[in-house]
Amino acid sequence: MRWWVVVNPSDRILRYGEKRIEEVEVFSVGGTALSVHLKGRVIDNAIITRTWGMGIRTFEKGKIGFSSTSDPGRWKECLEAAIASGKVATPQEWGGLPERRELPSRASTSDPAVSPEPDIVLPLVEGMLQGAEAYPEVRITGGEVDLFKGEVDIENSRGVEYQAPRTRVSLSLETIKGDSTGYEFDTSTFLDVHPSAIGNKAAFLAAHGALGGGIQTGDHEIILSPMASAQLIGQVVIPALSGRNVHAGRSRLAKLRGKQCMDLGISLYDNPFARGLGSTDWDAEGVPARRIDFINNGVLQQFAYDLKTAYRYHEESTASAVRSGFGGSPSIGAHNLILEGERSDIFEERALYVHDIVGAHTANPLSGDFSVELANAYWMEGDEPGEAVRQAMYAGNVFDMLRSIVGMGKESRVVGSLILPPLRIPAQRIIGA
Amino acid sequence: MPERYHDLRQVKGYQTHIDVDNGVVESTGTSFFDETVIRALGPKGWGVVILDSFDPDAGNMEHAIEEASALALMTQEEITLAPVEYGGLPVPPLTEDPVNVDIEEKIHLLLAVEKAAKRAEVKNTRATYMERNEEVRFLDLSGNDEHYQVTRCGFSVMAVAARGDVMQMARESHHTIRGFNLRHQSEQGDKAGCLAVALLDAVPARGGRQRVVLDPELGGVFAHEAVGHASEGDLIKEGNSVLQGRIGEKIGNATLTIVDDPTLPEFGFEPVDAEGARVHRTEIIRNGNVHAYLHSRETAAAVGYGTPGHARAMSGDIPQVRMSNTFIEEGDASFEEILAECRDGVLLIGSRGGQVDPGKGVFLFNAEYGYLIKGGECADMLRDVSLSGEILSTLHTIYLIGSERKMHQGYCGKGGQSVPVSDGAPYLLLQDAVVGGSESE
Repeated sequence: MRWWVVVNPSDRILRYGEKRIEEVEVFSVGGTALSVHLKGRVIDNAIITRTWGMGIRTFEKGKIGFSSTSDPGRWKECLEAAIASGKVATPQEWGGLPERRELPSRASTSDPAVSPEPDIVLPLVEGMLQGAEAYPEVRITGGEVDLFKGEVDIENSRGVEYQAPRTRVSLSLETIKGDSTGYEFDTSTFLDVHPSAIGNKAAFLAAHGALGGGIQTGDHEIILSPMASAQLIGQVVIPALSGRNVHAGRSRLAKLRGKQCMDLGISLYDNPFARGLGSTDWDAEGVPARRIDFINNGVLQQFAYDLKTAYRYHEESTASAVRSGFGGSPSIGAHNLILEGERSDIFEERALYVHDIVGAHTANPLSGDFSVELANAYWMEGDEPGEAVRQAMYAGNVFDMLRSIVGMGKESRVVGSLILPPLRIPAQRIIGA
Repeated sequence: MPERYHDLRQVKGYQTHIDVDNGVVESTGTSFFDETVIRALGPKGWGVVILDSFDPDAGNMEHAIEEASALALMTQEEITLAPVEYGGLPVPPLTEDPVNVDIEEKIHLLLAVEKAAKRAEVKNTRATYMERNEEVRFLDLSGNDEHYQVTRCGFSVMAVAARGDVMQMARESHHTIRGFNLRHQSEQGDKAGCLAVALLDAVPARGGRQRVVLDPELGGVFAHEAVGHASEGDLIKEGNSVLQGRIGEKIGNATLTIVDDPTLPEFGFEPVDAEGARVHRTEIIRNGNVHAYLHSRETAAAVGYGTPGHARAMSGDIPQVRMSNTFIEEGDASFEEILAECRDGVLLIGSRGGQVDPGKGVFLFNAEYGYLIKGGECADMLRDVSLSGEILSTLHTIYLIGSERKMHQGYCGKGGQSVPVSDGAPYLLLQDAVVGGSESE
């Protein structure tokens, strides 16, 4: 017998809300997660999380209100709080919430094989540990496996009533040898992760880094891993593509529409139907999702808009509204931001491979300037890992860095809302310790 | 299925936010939360159940403990818990309870802060206000039943300046547990506006080893990133910290003392920790020697050298060993002496955040801006400058410590959780540190 159950009150909220105000929207997220955490090679804790929550937006004469709650029994209080907050908002042009449409199901958002069950979690843990055994001298310090199964719903007073099942599998392993650390992870909608490869890579990074040496300060040719470049691009480029930041004077890309801003062979686009973590048929406001070509063959084409920003600046929503959960208003973001271009073997010639960086969140999101610490960096020559670099900083500018890409590796990787290949970039400033 | 121990931590309350952007009230709203974490310590490790809107008095508690106990059977780590002193501190009184201030007045005051940032060359201004009220209840197997309520609030204001193709931004913020703090704060907006414009003429830093002076805000981040995280008992237990096994070892000069103190009425204040333990001051580094680690009940039993009382948790999440109010104790040098002793180097001011790899012992943090120091005096303004180093060697390079400490507020992320903290230090002179910058020698 289930002893914990949630009844989604969306219908009652819409019916009640329509009598009070012009439009109402209810966005809810619920589900169950099973997480296990490793301390060393053994499981330290096992956690079941059952969550449900909803965010209510209200719309009256261009004034938008918001409130959220995790208690379905408090829906009326939450709705009243949203209406009250709308009363003090600055009114803006508002053309209405989207109407219901029949949407073909193009995005894969769940995998029936994923369920928060011990008999799925434990083999994943075991797989990571086995993968790490290739480096017996490396010690495992921690790790985590999470399985989530749930549903996202959006309903509004114009008839939108979309539901999408969601699943997620996350694995990570942390390792150490001496004072050389390693970390590897993977997150997927599907049970297509490779725990052994994750364990092997985490252990390799710690083992290889233990043999590290120094590096001369200067301009070096580097290869940025998807993990490293995703952190910088996520911190700087995604905000710069936001229509809100463009119109507010907070984007360095604002004046570059129609101009070349990357190599002519490189494109950057958001594909919500691609196999990624942000796959969806509709955005966080119920607008039908679509592909957005931000940079096409090096030339900046367009920016990202949600409904609010689009109405305000007489643009069209690009279905770019995203939410990090039920507890916040939607904001402009990316679903599956993909960097694409001609692929080649970028590892053939000598370059410094940067697997990870420390401090990407300190990059200046406006100017794109950054200086970060390298983590798990080593020389690559002829596809073989060479000498590791123990400690060095990397300073530059994200926009300049992207303009300087001379090669893209053959395999892309999903890192959060980005899907990127390794990038080869010449003349990057590395500061040796 | 007997559990050796269980506890429950429920956090419920509301959070209000206001976001104003170029004079427009972009969004405002109040959200309600009610999250409960139930832990059971089985024969080996922890089983945990996390629920929304759970009423521990409604008869479901036994079901939850049973489920947590069943989950605990998946674990293999043999966990023991150190004994603790119980009892909470009183929450410092609010000078003005923000709940008594109308949302319209809050918006009016926030718009005034934002407006103060406007001036020629400032193209965009934005300000946000946050207010969070938490009612916390802690119950455990021993019959402890702690309650407290704490309200945190604060604001930030940002200005973006542009001239030609050059764009720069500056941000000021203040957060507190002492009550409504939005009145008479226009000078914070003014400061952000002035700084954003000044940064248009700043130059990139020269990368490489240099003498560095840290201001109190960045010095606090240095204490937090370089020492605080590496002293956390869970990382010590995992063998993922360079401070493991170094109790009593000298890692800094004799004037260096670094403390974490959740009892201080600063932004990281906790009246009782997330395991019901009494909170207390811990000297991590005393007179240059590693003196103690920060601990939860689990890590204190496993590692020693410190007492429990440093477990913290975001609402709806499990306790972790965390810092609270972390600072470097005052020395006796004046700012003028520090600049004169530095002679040639860089002064770094304000923080845009930091990060540490405690196992490798390497940290990085980024300053909002800085100045070249030439002949003991501040010269050209610098932008986008960061500092990195190895924890163990960098502490030895702290050569002078100033006589006035200031605390700054922020949020610290670890293991997917973000908790309010404060950090502080006096001005510090580092004899030899690695500065990251894109300019050539």
